[in-house]
Parts: sequence; structure tokens; C-alpha cells
Amino acid sequence: MKINWDDLQSKSFYQATARERAYGMLDKDTFKELLGPRDKMTSPHLLILGEAVEFDDGITVGIGKIKKHPVFVVSQEGKFVGGALGEVNGAKMAYTLKLALKTYEKMKEKYGTVPDDRKPICIVSFDSGGVRLHEANAGLLMHSESMETIWELQNKVPYIAITGSTIGAYGAQGFVCLSADVVIANDFGRIGLTGPEVIQQEVGKDEFDASDRALIWRTMGARSKYILGDVDYLIKDTIGTFRDTIVNMVDEPMSKISKTRKVGSPQLVEENLEVVKLAAEKKIKDSKDLWKIYGNENVDEIPEMSQEKFLSVVKRRPRRH
Amino acid sequence: MIKSLIGKTDEAIQLIFDKDTFQENVIGNTRLDKDLAPPVMVGQAMIDGEVCSVLANNSKRPNPRFRVVYSGILGMEEAYKFSQAMYATIEADKERPKDKKRPIVLLIDTPGNSPGKIEEIVGMTKGTASYQFAIEDARLAGHPVIGLIIGRAVSGGFLCHGLLSDRILALPAEYGTIVHVMPTTSIAVITKIPLERLNELVKTNPVFASGAEYFYDLGGIDEMVKRPEDMRAAIIKSIKEVRALRKQGKEDQLGIWHRGVVGAERGGRQKRMEAIKKMQEEYEKMLPELI
Amino acid sequence: MALTELNYEFKPETPKTIKDDWSHIGVVASGDLEVLIEKENALKGKTKIHILTTVVGFDDVWETVVKKFIDKTGLSGVRVSINDNAATPAVVIRRLQQAVDNGGGLQ
Repeated sequence: MKINWDDLQSKSFYQATARERAYGMLDKDTFKELLGPRDKMTSPHLLILGEAVEFDDGITVGIGKIKKHPVFVVSQEGKFVGGALGEVNGAKMAYTLKLALKTYEKMKEKYGTVPDDRKPICIVSFDSGGVRLHEANAGLLMHSESMETIWELQNKVPYIAITGSTIGAYGAQGFVCLSADVVIANDFGRIGLTGPEVIQQEVGKDEFDASDRALIWRTMGARSKYILGDVDYLIKDTIGTFRDTIVNMVDEPMSKISKTRKVGSPQLVEENLEVVKLAAEKKIKDSKDLWKIYGNENVDEIPEMSQEKFLSVVKRRPRRH
Repeated sequence: MIKSLIGKTDEAIQLIFDKDTFQENVIGNTRLDKDLAPPVMVGQAMIDGEVCSVLANNSKRPNPRFRVVYSGILGMEEAYKFSQAMYATIEADKERPKDKKRPIVLLIDTPGNSPGKIEEIVGMTKGTASYQFAIEDARLAGHPVIGLIIGRAVSGGFLCHGLLSDRILALPAEYGTIVHVMPTTSIAVITKIPLERLNELVKTNPVFASGAEYFYDLGGIDEMVKRPEDMRAAIIKSIKEVRALRKQGKEDQLGIWHRGVVGAERGGRQKRMEAIKKMQEEYEKMLPELI
Repeated sequence: MALTELNYEFKPETPKTIKDDWSHIGVVASGDLEVLIEKENALKGKTKIHILTTVVGFDDVWETVVKKFIDKTGLSGVRVSINDNAATPAVVIRRLQQAVDNGGGLQ
């Protein structure tokens, strides 16, 4: 079984399968899958319900290398049941994060301190709507397992979140994504908690029309999140570009990588709360209102312009912490 | 005779804590902003003669600034105020030894996080993540964190407010508690699986069933509290247990990962255990090359 | 409301097998399938196929499609496992071929 790593580098990240993304982001032919298709651990719950099953249960997880770093990868497959997480794929995700932590602790035992150029790295490539409703309770619980482990990884193992596939990082995966040290996206990236249909149902079609794609993109899309500081790198849509972005940061000390964290301290609570208060005070109705507040004048053009142009003119929310 | 505590957080507070000791928006020397997040009811109270933090929500109080924050829905201000309460608690006891940290009691009655437009623009996601991290920070500092489901513990609301506690207790369904991601009727619509079939399957598989008892089987809830009158005693007992386990260094018998083990012992989430075991074996073979 | 399970065994006239130990391709998206091919010494000259599909009542079509592929390629000495979510025969054939290619081709 061979995946052509070289071909993957120029392939669209958006169009790539979960397995291709996982292979392609790591150093050539270093990725080793855990509980791969040959283990045939499918979801017993989908089976009982008569739903299609997949040998990897819609997720590729495993370990490989970038330079000297052991890299722990979780890559979600949005084309299988919306990438949603249940008992098996949820356990695969949460436990991969756990293994990154265990490895850090083992290295610490061995070396005293974990050298910057060898520290474990954790990458999650999001492509999921959150909890898999066919096994909802198990799916809910796995999210908390992931969150606790991500919290434990803080200041030890860089956790890099990626959004740029068909589904985005939605539902509970939205906050699993934004708990990262670094968030990388292409222009297809989306991060949100509530799906567009549910928002429409709640606030009415006048305020939120779930069929309005432009509205969805500017509300949950990568450009708006980049302006807000939730997305840290907005990049081109090839697997190679994602890889290069990661390769360039992994040797940095943990303290530097964690500078772009969005949550996890009392200071960040206050900083985020300021944005909430600002949005309430200015009676924000649309993302564009917020873009304006942060100094963007050409807000109608922002969704349409090329990525280069956007990156050259955009004004972002200044970070304090 | 109490039938249900949904929307009756005041009443629950009276039942659980020492008489008339709840001080809203006060935690140690911190005074929390009373205008922030009206649905949130946080402060300190005494339980069994000891001061504790109370993190509850009152579903009768909407948030006037955010129209999709009502009936117990938790929005952004709510998540951040809960986070502030956690950090205020840690601050209040920073000089105390680890085994003397005040307990934190979460009273849970929420149908979810706010599904509003403004919440998506600004980031409900970060609010709920912040609160979850704050709970973990408090646990790490040594505070016993006990969650008690008095009403609704639904989906993202439960994830945000409760699921990461050291111990989770719940009143049974006969007191009106609702614990699920969504009702089985909605799951039937979205998955296109007939409701009758789902209801039939629920009998043998708790994995998508609605109700505290099913979460108990999966290890989503540690302990059922039979009646509202027993809530106080159950919380006091849990606080003691958590402290004792921490003291013995048995952190691994607390919290969300431990409940995965508990779930398997109760017959739920067997595949989860199987997956983890297999991954651990594969990992151990790879380990020498990794470090 | 249950998945259809199909099992076939073939003995192609000119048996060939894949180069690698195993091969996998595809995502079980709507209208798509995954194919896993695993070499198995005990199956020398034979092909065992296991299919799990959401579609009911197309057993004959499946048999025709996979038989045609095995006859044409001689793929044997392997166990082929398929998870299907209502793929058309054309997609099935394409994925089978890709799985063989991913396994280093036939020899």
C-alpha cells in the first residue's frame, strides 16, 4: 500500500481525503496509521441502524515525523457521515491527543527537559459537524475527553488546528478547534458552533438565511476569523502549503508557539469578553460591522478579493495577550 | 413534594447549601459584575459549614443584550462569567494548601449554548472553550468540582457547564431532568431513521437515548441522586471522596477520562475501550523510534 | 433497515496478485465505497470478497460486477472487503482498479 507523497504536495487540501492530508503534511513516508482500515474497527452503532460503515470510522489517526519531532495527527473525513464523531472515531481522536501527551512525558523523563527541536507536535485536520447523532451520547462525551487532553497539552505540546476541508470545524468541534495554539486555514476554512439551519430556525430567516452562502462564509469563514484573530495563518489551498507552514514553526520554543492561543487564562477571558461587550455595545448585526470596527473600510470587497490582496490590505483585531 | 427543579435554581440552592448563606456575585475578595450575564447565578455559599463556590444558571433570567440567551441557554457573557467565577475561586484560595481548597458546585439546568448569529460572528466557541479550560484549571489547583444536574443538561450546554467536573451527579428523569444531545424525535428527523426503530433500539443501546439513566450507563454521570432532598448529602459525600482521592494521588479516578472506564464497567462504550487498548499496543511498538 | 452482506468466492483462470501486502482506497461517502485488498497465503489462486452495502436487492448486480473485474484482472490470493454506500457499478469498478493500482499493481 503506497500513497504518493510527492503528488500530494501540489494537491488541493480542500479536495484531499483525510488520509491524504495526514500523509502529505508529514515528512515523506513517515506517517504510520493507528487503528487503520485493516483493523476494521467500524462503528457498531451505525451497523445496528443499517447505516454505511467505514473501516476507519471516518477518521485517520497516526504518528509520523516532521524533522526530529514525533507528530501526532488526527484527520477527519467529512465525506463520511459529515465527519461527525461517535464512539470509535471519537476514541481514536481523543486517544491520539493523549498519546502526544504521554510521549511528551516520556521524553521529559528521558531528557529532563524536552528539547525544542524534538518536542512532540499535535495536528488536527478538522472536517466535522461535531457529534454523530447516531451515537450522540458517546460523541458528546468524547468531546470532553479531547478538551481535557488539549488543556493538558498546553505549554507542553503544540496543538495545531487546521480547517480547510468540505465541512469545516462545526458544532462541538468548533471549540475543540479554537482551543489550539495555532489555527491554520485556507479560504474554505470555517469555524462555528451552530449550523446555519439551526441559526435560521432560532433567529428567523430575515436575520439569518441559511441558504445565503455569502452570509455563511462571512459569518463562519476563515477571512472573518482571520480578522478576529481566531485564524492565525490564512494560506493557499495545497497540502504542501499547509505542510510548509507547519514545518516553519515546529522548532520554535513552546512559549512562542503558544502566543496565538485564544483561550486558557484569566487574561484571555477578559480579552475575549471585551470583544463580546464591544459587539453588544455597537449592536453588531453582521460580520462586516466588526470588520469595520477593526479598521477595514472595504468590507464589501473583502469576501471577493484574491487571498494575496486580502492579506495585504486586511486590518486585524489587535491582540493584547 | 418537589416535582421538577427545571427553572427553579433558587429552590435548589435553598435545598443544597446551609440556610441563607448564598451570596451572589461574591467569591472571596472578588466582586463579580452583577450586570454581566444575568442568567448566570454565581457566588459563594456554605455547605456543611465550609465555604464553597456556586456556579449555577437561572433560566428565568434572560440576557437583555443577546436575544438568543433565554430559558437557560448559555451565551458568550454567561460562559465568560462562569470562567471569571472559576478564576476568582482559584484566586480566593491561592494561599491555602491543595487539600484545603474550597469546593465548587455546578448546578446544571441548560438546554444548550446560544445558537445566535452574533454568537457565531464573535465566537460562542471561544466562550465555551474558555469555561472548560477554567474548570480544568480549578481542578488542577485542587478544588473539588462537583456537577449536579437539576434540570436540563443538553448538548453543548452540558459540554460547557458540567461535563468536565470531577464528579457528576444527576436527579433521575422522574424529576424532569433531561440529559441528551437532542431528543430522539429530532435524531429520527436528521438521521432519517424511523422513530419507532430508534425507540426499539434504545432498549438495548444507551448510546443515543435521552435521559440521565442512559448517561449513567455510559459513564457520563457518576451517580444518580434519588430525590431532591438527597442532593445536599450527595454533594457533601462527593466532595469528601474527591478530596480523599486527590490526597492519595488518585487523580485518575476523577473526571471525564475516568468516567470512560466507569462506563465500560457498566457495560457502555465497550468499543471505546477496545479502540484505546489497541492504539496503546500499537503505540508502544512505535515508541522506541519516537523518543 | 439493515445493511446487506454479500460474500463471494472466485477462482480466476489466470491468477495474479497485488505486489504489496495490502491496499486501500476510497471513502464511504454517499454514492461511493471503500475497497480493502489484503493478501492471504491460504487463499492462493482464490479471491474472497465481502461486501457490506446500504442498498437492498442488487445482489445480482454486485455479483456480475465483481466477477467481471476478477475475471478480467485475475486478482486472487486476496481477501477483498468493501463498504458501500450506494455506489454505481461504474464507481465500483473504478475503485477496485484504483485499489489494485495502490497495491503496486498486479503480478
